[in-house]
Amino acid sequence: MDVSRKYENFLEFRRQEKSNFLWISRTLRPKVANVQEAPCSPSLHKDEVLQSPKIQELLDKLSSVQNVPKGHLEKQVKEILDEIGYNKSLKVIRWLGLVLTKICLRVSSGIYINVNKVQQVRSKMGNCPVIFVPSHRSYADFILMSYMCFTYEIVIPAIAAGMDFHGMWGMGTMLRDTGAFFMRRSYNDDSVYWTVFKQYIYQLVTRGDLPIEFFIEGTRSRSNKSLAPKFGLISMILKPYFFAQVPDILFVPISISYDRVLEENLFAYELLGVPKPKETTSGFFKSLKILKERFGSIFFHIGEPISSKEFFGDSIDRSIHATASLHKQDLTDQEKSVIPPLAFEILHRQQQGFVITIFNLVALVLNNTYTNKKKLPTILELKQQLLWLRSIIESLGAYIHCDDLEKEIRECLVVHRNIIHFNSNNEVSLVETQIHQGKVNIQKLKAHQLSDQTMTYSVPFVALQIYVNPTLFYLFDLAVLFTVIQKEGALNKEDLWVRYHFLRSLYAMEFVFPPQKEHITYESALENAIAVNALILAGDTYIVGRNVELQEILHSSFKPFLLSYSTVFLVLQHLPLACEQKTILANVQRILEDAINNKESFVHPYTLNLDTLSNCINSLCAMSVLKKARRENAVSFEINKTELDDVKTRLDLYIPTLCINEDLLVNLQLQNKL
Amino acid sequence: MPPPPSQNSKIKEPIFVKSVIPKSRQQLLKWNGWGYTDSQFVVKVDEHKNIQVYFTGKRYPIGEVTLPHLAQWAIDKLDLDLTQPPKRSQPPPTESQYPESKIPESILLKLKNFSISYSIDIVDRVVRAHGQTLHDIYTLRNSVFERIPDVVVWPTGHDEVVKLVTLCNDNNIVLIPYGGGTAVSGAVECPTSEQRPIISLDTSQMNKILWLDRDNLVACCESGIVGQDLERELGRMGFTTGHEPDSYEFSSLGGWVATRASGMKKNTYGNIEDLVVHVKMVTANGVLEKGCQVPRLSCGPDFNHVILGSEGSLGVVTEVVIKIRPLPQCRKYGSVVFPNFETGVKYMREVAKRRLQPASIRLMDNDQFKFGMILKPEESYFGIILDGIKKFYITKIKGFDVDQMCVMTLLFEGDETDVKLSEKKLYELAKQFGAIPAGETNGERGYMLTFVIAYIRDLGLQYDVVAESFETSVPWDRAVTLVKNVKQVVAQECQRLGITHYIINSRVTQTYDAGCVIYFYLGFNHRDLGDPVDLHNRLETKARDEILASGGSISHHHGVGKLRRKWYPKTVSNVGLSLYLSIKRELDPKNIFATNNLVQSKL
Ligand SMILES: Cc1cc2nc3c(=O)[nH]c(=O)nc-3n(C[C@H](O)[C@H](O)[C@H](O)COP(=O)(O)OP(=O)(O)OC[C@H]3O[C@@H](n4cnc5c(N)ncnc54)[C@H](O)[C@@H]3O)c2cc1C
Repeated sequence: MDVSRKYENFLEFRRQEKSNFLWISRTLRPKVANVQEAPCSPSLHKDEVLQSPKIQELLDKLSSVQNVPKGHLEKQVKEILDEIGYNKSLKVIRWLGLVLTKICLRVSSGIYINVNKVQQVRSKMGNCPVIFVPSHRSYADFILMSYMCFTYEIVIPAIAAGMDFHGMWGMGTMLRDTGAFFMRRSYNDDSVYWTVFKQYIYQLVTRGDLPIEFFIEGTRSRSNKSLAPKFGLISMILKPYFFAQVPDILFVPISISYDRVLEENLFAYELLGVPKPKETTSGFFKSLKILKERFGSIFFHIGEPISSKEFFGDSIDRSIHATASLHKQDLTDQEKSVIPPLAFEILHRQQQGFVITIFNLVALVLNNTYTNKKKLPTILELKQQLLWLRSIIESLGAYIHCDDLEKEIRECLVVHRNIIHFNSNNEVSLVETQIHQGKVNIQKLKAHQLSDQTMTYSVPFVALQIYVNPTLFYLFDLAVLFTVIQKEGALNKEDLWVRYHFLRSLYAMEFVFPPQKEHITYESALENAIAVNALILAGDTYIVGRNVELQEILHSSFKPFLLSYSTVFLVLQHLPLACEQKTILANVQRILEDAINNKESFVHPYTLNLDTLSNCINSLCAMSVLKKARRENAVSFEINKTELDDVKTRLDLYIPTLCINEDLLVNLQLQNKL
Repeated sequence: MPPPPSQNSKIKEPIFVKSVIPKSRQQLLKWNGWGYTDSQFVVKVDEHKNIQVYFTGKRYPIGEVTLPHLAQWAIDKLDLDLTQPPKRSQPPPTESQYPESKIPESILLKLKNFSISYSIDIVDRVVRAHGQTLHDIYTLRNSVFERIPDVVVWPTGHDEVVKLVTLCNDNNIVLIPYGGGTAVSGAVECPTSEQRPIISLDTSQMNKILWLDRDNLVACCESGIVGQDLERELGRMGFTTGHEPDSYEFSSLGGWVATRASGMKKNTYGNIEDLVVHVKMVTANGVLEKGCQVPRLSCGPDFNHVILGSEGSLGVVTEVVIKIRPLPQCRKYGSVVFPNFETGVKYMREVAKRRLQPASIRLMDNDQFKFGMILKPEESYFGIILDGIKKFYITKIKGFDVDQMCVMTLLFEGDETDVKLSEKKLYELAKQFGAIPAGETNGERGYMLTFVIAYIRDLGLQYDVVAESFETSVPWDRAVTLVKNVKQVVAQECQRLGITHYIINSRVTQTYDAGCVIYFYLGFNHRDLGDPVDLHNRLETKARDEILASGGSISHHHGVGKLRRKWYPKTVSNVGLSLYLSIKRELDPKNIFATNNLVQSKL
């Protein structure tokens, strides 16, 4: 564990002070990111975008091609800009700050941050664009980010937000007033919109003085694991750097960890395929009932800033853009190719920054208990296991927040009382609640309709898994190595690498890591595996180690992912050469639901989750087993069966036996013949 | 304005110009620093530990008055420890410090036979071993050059140069032309690994004005004439070339041609390439020149442009026919204050767009603006940033931020009416940009300071501070970002190198239709940080990389020399590079002009 990580609970200051109101209304001298001689107001930004040669030339062209007056088109652009552009109202910010303070004091036991890094980042601000890149686990992320900035006198950033907020009555304006700008999310090919949007970003980066904040994962991760980074917005942000319109761009990775994620229940449903309710304001107010709940602590970890200049170094020659007008130019292929490694690096620093809580470990232990049908632990037994597990996870590099273990366990039982409790034997167990779905709109289902019985059984497991997942960042590599060696026996380093590389690539979307660091990751995984005795190095081959308890945990935590993937393969094998995404997902869920309910052997309900299934499909696309096609609103795939067979054989080596109802597969074929 | 003294349209007899600068330069000029020996910044600490800085001599208006604010500024900004005894330079070079001259007796004999004056005296040789880069001056003060010329020769005209070049070519001896030695690109330095004997060809004794043609307004001059001599002599006859690089007191006509120099008043008179009508260059292969003396020529590629910027690597420029103009009736200064740099640049852009430029128009950034104030002799602390009432008006009424505002200096030359009109247009336009005219004296001071600032480095060197300037040209739309980028890169790099006290400031010194020229000053305290020249080179390299990345050029007028060779191929393309090399091979097959400028020669 990195002992240099020190956190300050800044909510405590609010608890201590006499008047939150005085604090909220204090004079602010916030630090800006990129000092401008003549700073732009929000509306000047929009004007300058409209007047930019890029937009003006586009409008000239459109006006002559479509034979419409330019003024008319300008009006359209203005509307687009009004939809996009952020605003800034200090009054709104202060009021929100006050409300938020009151809420947090009520539901949260602390908001922690590594202040020394905040100060370091502050001191680096002033001379070039600064981009805050927080992890995205909850809607609360960006409100809390702004709150954190407000607390530490950093100017509130311009925040890239999805259009779903824009639609919410009142919310849209309020967020806009606190610096949000809006980006249409759904795939659309309105070229004017995107040209304007890109120019707006260009404007904010080159002429703005606020930090910009965006979520590199694109959307909230429902699984509490990092999502693969998106490259769109970061490319737009980097363009002015490549064009030398700014001297450098600083990316600040920020990890926000929640003891309890606000949306956990919702996420559990969504993972299982129940469509996410559209965000509405009334829905938001309904969520005000959260005021009665407890959410434990929240942790901000500000990561080491990445200077794009340093990161790209000599791999980029920015002078190549010197011989023509910049607005006529686009990023070169070389420039595009260096963006993903940066995006992955930012994400990786987020991953390293997350704080692991005691509940994450509790979840891991319980998950293992259920998977292996072991006796549920009493609080003392739990404590014993946690002590052991904690030292292992810490030795793998995690930072675990825990002052007093027993107190933390008890706190878990309060904060997470909707997931775990003491059963009648005074053992810690999962909470079961009957679920009645009522009438489900089949149209809105993303996949298969799971029965009430399945839902009732599965939701607690899925909710628990959401808290297991953060630990897998530390365990996955070991799990892969162990699984391979366990099934294949002794292997030397090169042979083991081949397997590792295969599984790592197959699970690249599930357990995201920087491809450019695969070799280093492999090396350190081997070292770790030996250090914790999951493997032993005998001569020049690796064999199974003696840490049986850990191996059991590795096994049980990897197993659901193995099952999900292999079931996807199985279904694909039985599907025709071209099929829709929904067909794949539904059939996989159907088969797994059956296996789960057939309680002969334990099949983890998390295997049903659509996040993993889609990750699998996306990986297969990346490996050219599947080819994606977009037809009339539906995503469909072409299957390369020979490639599929090959991958499946390689994976099945490691798959635990699964009781499959063969009839379902026969049905599947029949169904397709029809 | 007196009428020109002679009414003959051509002055046929050569004018033997008595140069201000003696043949033995070190008698008048510092051997280890910039400019005249009698002119320098000095620090006096009195018994009460009061520190006073002033400038010696009466050559410049700033001379012999104390500058009460300079010391504190230097302490704050650059952490100068003025209470320490200054670091003195080593004494002038002695024979024992350098290897003996490699020049064979036989060659010296030939020189005697040609009656060409020469010297193998160590000081003469060391004085011509360098230009004015930081490396040069630092080496002079503290150590020894790796390589110096083996002999200095002083030809007195074209024919003697032809003899010298033939002699060198026949005997495989290296020849390096030396004009005023003001190069800031490493151009005059001897290539360190050169094994052959090196002759430094000092052009100072070929400085006649051979003839002057009033009908066509041209004068034929020998290349060794230095700017101030040329202007003085022409001025006597009622003329000027109008070519006034900041170094014009000491730099030579041949040097200007060889480096593609640019004068402050180029808007009215043109840059050196606009001024040259005819030029002779003695190469190892014969004399390159045109067969006519015409205003313009359509006749294939213009070989004048092979000569211009050749940096001594292709031959010796001996005679130049240069345009002259009648002296202007009226010369007037002006200045304008802008709320910030960006606005100033926008204004300049507009001036260039409308082609309203006066003879000179320059914009100092905020740091330079403040520095200009620091150099004021006024005692009053209040008066230092701005004069009281003006300060009130500018900061309180107009709302300018003292930490952002900038000053632009203007120089008008021409007929009185033209100057008036030009002033009117420029000041009116300035108003539209929210700027405020700030008077003639400020403008005049600005131009005077340019000459004085060159002296300040020598003061810094005594207190662990090194400084250097570099410049570039850039399209208009990228000027402001270039400045910002370079400043930020320098700041980042200083931090990396552990440099805590530094200055990096800039000004826009020239405007063109398509862009402008940016001039940077960089200085830093290197106490306890290791070799300052090396540190500086690292900083300047980073800065130049950033300049190129930001759309700027390798150089607007300082040239490539040895310092900027790294960026030459990229600037001219590979084809351009081999084109240069073929020219080099053709004109100088034995590489006797082994200056190693532009390209590291492998010939
Ligand atoms: C304080 C200061 C201010 C300056 N300001 C300006 C400015 O405003 N504008 C500007 O353009 N430059 C400026 N410079 C740079 C320098 O003054 C110019 O490059 C000038 O043209 C050099 O002339 P020089 O006679 O001193 O040449 P030198 O320094 O002696 O030589 C420069 C190069 O030209 C070659 N050379 C010299 N004479 C001949 C010849 N007759 N034939 C062939 N090759 C020859 C030399 O071999 C060398 O490679 C400044 C320098 C300093 C130190």
